[in-house]
Amino acid sequence: MNKLTYFPGCSAHGTSEEFDHTLKLVMKTLDVQMEEIPDWNCCGATSAHVMTENLALALPMRNLVLAEKLENKTMGIACASCYSRMKVTKKHLDEHPDLAHKINTTIIDEGEYKGDIDVKSMLQYCFEEIGPEVIKSKVTKPLTGLKVACYYGCLLTRPKDVTHFDSPEYPMSMDILMEALGAKAMEFDFKTECCGASFSISNTDVVESLSGKILEVAKESGAHMIVVACPLCQSNLDMRQPDIERHTGQKFALPVMYFTQLMALAFGFPEKELKLPKHIVPVQEALSHIGEIEPTPEKVKKTKKAVEAESEVE
Amino acid sequence: MARVGVFVCFCGANIADFIDVPAVVEEAKKVKEVKVSVLYKYMCSDPGQQMIRDAIIQNRLTSVVVAACSPRMHEKTFRKALSDAGMNPYLLEVANIREHSSWVHQKDKKAATEKANDLIRMAIAKSIANEQLHEISVPVTKRALVIGGGIAGIQAALDIADARIPVTLVEKSPSIGGRMAQLDETFPTLDCSQCILTPKMVDVASHPYIELIPYAEVIELDGYVGNYKAKIKKKASYVNFDTCTGCGACTQKCPVKVPNEFNMNIDKRKAIYTPFPQAVPNKPVIDAEHCTMLLKGKCGICAKVCEKGSIDYKMVDEVIEREIGAVVVATGYDLWDPKPYEEYGVGRYKDIITSLEFERMVSASGPTNGVPLRPSDGKVPKNVVFIKCIGSRDEAKGIEYCSKICCMYTAKHAILLHHKVHDSHAYIFYMDIRAAGKGYEEFVKRAQVETAATYLRGRVSKIYKKGDKLMVRGEDAQIGQVVEVEADLVVLATAVIAPHENPALARLLGISYDKYGYLSEAHPKLRPVETAKAGIFLAGCTQAPKDIPDTVAQASACAAKVCGLFAGDTLKKDPMISTISNEFCSGCLNCVKVCPYQAIVTEEIPLGHGSKELRTVAKINEGVCQGCGSCVAICRSMAISLAGFTDPQIINEIVAI
Repeated sequence: MNKLTYFPGCSAHGTSEEFDHTLKLVMKTLDVQMEEIPDWNCCGATSAHVMTENLALALPMRNLVLAEKLENKTMGIACASCYSRMKVTKKHLDEHPDLAHKINTTIIDEGEYKGDIDVKSMLQYCFEEIGPEVIKSKVTKPLTGLKVACYYGCLLTRPKDVTHFDSPEYPMSMDILMEALGAKAMEFDFKTECCGASFSISNTDVVESLSGKILEVAKESGAHMIVVACPLCQSNLDMRQPDIERHTGQKFALPVMYFTQLMALAFGFPEKELKLPKHIVPVQEALSHIGEIEPTPEKVKKTKKAVEAESEVE
Repeated sequence: MARVGVFVCFCGANIADFIDVPAVVEEAKKVKEVKVSVLYKYMCSDPGQQMIRDAIIQNRLTSVVVAACSPRMHEKTFRKALSDAGMNPYLLEVANIREHSSWVHQKDKKAATEKANDLIRMAIAKSIANEQLHEISVPVTKRALVIGGGIAGIQAALDIADARIPVTLVEKSPSIGGRMAQLDETFPTLDCSQCILTPKMVDVASHPYIELIPYAEVIELDGYVGNYKAKIKKKASYVNFDTCTGCGACTQKCPVKVPNEFNMNIDKRKAIYTPFPQAVPNKPVIDAEHCTMLLKGKCGICAKVCEKGSIDYKMVDEVIEREIGAVVVATGYDLWDPKPYEEYGVGRYKDIITSLEFERMVSASGPTNGVPLRPSDGKVPKNVVFIKCIGSRDEAKGIEYCSKICCMYTAKHAILLHHKVHDSHAYIFYMDIRAAGKGYEEFVKRAQVETAATYLRGRVSKIYKKGDKLMVRGEDAQIGQVVEVEADLVVLATAVIAPHENPALARLLGISYDKYGYLSEAHPKLRPVETAKAGIFLAGCTQAPKDIPDTVAQASACAAKVCGLFAGDTLKKDPMISTISNEFCSGCLNCVKVCPYQAIVTEEIPLGHGSKELRTVAKINEGVCQGCGSCVAICRSMAISLAGFTDPQIINEIVAI
């Protein structure tokens, strides 16, 4: 039994309840015991770091100190924003040893910051510490026939110097996990494009134009759905989709699911556990492709040239 | 009793404004060995030098101190003045009161004057212990080695050989020609590259003073200027070049196909091949990594079809030696791999190619017979996007410097595209247009106006696929908007980088290289073709990115340097080098370790007078020693002495202050 210190973040207890729920299901299957940090607080995203640097560091630091007290090797974070704030703060604290004392006084003192915990997103945890092979071994209902476009958003792999995970431009970890579940990960160029989340409240036009582009390219890739690992990505692409469709006149009908929902499905959990009614864009249609067998391309009669090409010694 | 003359220079206002020169002259007179102490406005001028010459004769001086600028500036001038007056030139000492005092202490005249007094007193004291020294003569082998057979090496070899000096030209690939042979047309005149290059290649092969060694590498270089010994490894070609007529039957019949590196792997060549039709020498070699006969002992077709019996599967690498006097290094450049541009989909999209791949496609003799084709479906592209500065001027992904040639060749590509595909359109994303050169700006204008290429100032942030098109999204900074261009083909102008073999080659030759792997010149402005090691010169892109005209100019400059070096039968060398006293040398050989020029060797001498037992001592190679003094500092038994900087001289200086 592996133990994992878990930081859900505010959305996991609210808008992304289906992420939190399925995450807990699959972690149980994968023999990981999740310990939620007692009395965790807001990570400060996205207001604190544009207002005061001190607060932007103090809020995540308290969480880090509390996380370290559980004495597990790794802290797993559900939300990409929380992950980014935690990771940035940890980098600052580790690079400037006297910084912890400077910011300690601004919040309730929870003790010393030691800096001995690994901070990972849940996607990173699944990919690096569990691994696609183990995940594949737990699959009882492969997602064969389902085509997905994996969307990572801006924070899970960036900035490179902070996350040290996967590629900042064309990451593949989620794609590899999806392939392990039996799904087909499509070539998708907008994996890390901006969805406009920062303007989610203040300027929805921007969100609609940026997220609209992501949906357009995902649709173009031939995917049945978009898979995400971040609550904000999910809500922007899912919740705004009807508005985007109305404004652009395009019909996407692309459900946006968490990678853990698909893991749960592949691990054999019943569909009701996925909390599908929480989705705005209906999911059922996309899921009906599971089990479809891809027509094998017709055997092309070998031309003389092709035979010659094959006989070449490379 | 020593008789010293002191000559203090005003250097116009450079020294006189900040140092009380008359007071300095008077102060020098207080030293009892000083027989004459005078001042003059410009001591380096002819009247100034005359003043020194007259004073030497009139006062029967035994040493001379000139208090003026840095010895790097005028030491040679004043040494000559001494010689002209019949005095050994090494009895001169220069007190640098300009760079070391007046220039750096402009705000405190009193302190500057006092420092000048100290510097002059030191120079006087040192000069008293100066000894007569004589230039060293070393013999010179009049043969040059040129490493690399691109346009730089070709030009250098031809110019040297035309001066009737024998040249050995070593090229690592089976043919000379280098990068220039891969080019279609050249900017800014659109001369056909092959047409202007191949006559020179043929000249190299037929020149009576050039020994061409293709398919070979220099593996060792010993010795010193004028007297180098090079070991050259001739790679096994498995073809007897003496009997081979170059008929080409073997390459035709060879069944093994391999990606063709000359055509940037766009098409295939055979395992026995000549790199391109105009190759010099026009003899095939067998690629041992792919030949099934050499790998598995099966096939042998080339030997069967060769009427001359020139194929020899048993051939092995051969090492030959050449004695040479000078080396020209011309190893060219490589191109940066754009893989880190993941946001462009490099490696995922076949229709994103590099400029050299485009160059091969538009070349009439290239793999697509001069028509650019999309690698994905073989269709002729209409909209082509060229992106400059891929890896260049890019601290995040590539290198900091500008590759210099990309602005020009991209303009050329836009023009060539228009020539080959009339209804095409070129879009060029650029950061700046750097077109400094004769006819260059006009050439870019031609691309913009005649060809009507669309120049977009800004970076491309993303390339994504839409159907069979590539959507290129970038910034047009001049209208302040994001633009998207639907492209059939994207061409990346990748950065010029130093050949990856350069650091190893530099170590082998004993010369230095910079952080990028470019070989370092001795001085960035005033000695751009010499290296810090005497007798080794640099030509072309191995020193820094440059275009063909600059490369050819530098190659010819190398040839002039080599001819100058070989002008006499012996080389004159500064006598200020180290000597080792065998009596004191304990044979610890720490000096061998610290010598940056590998100028110290070991020698076995009798243990005592008449003894048969031997002991090891260090020995200075006079030809190589540059007189840096590192060995003197490390020697714990004080066995090493540096002429011109002996212990008595240094101690005198210290005592004087």
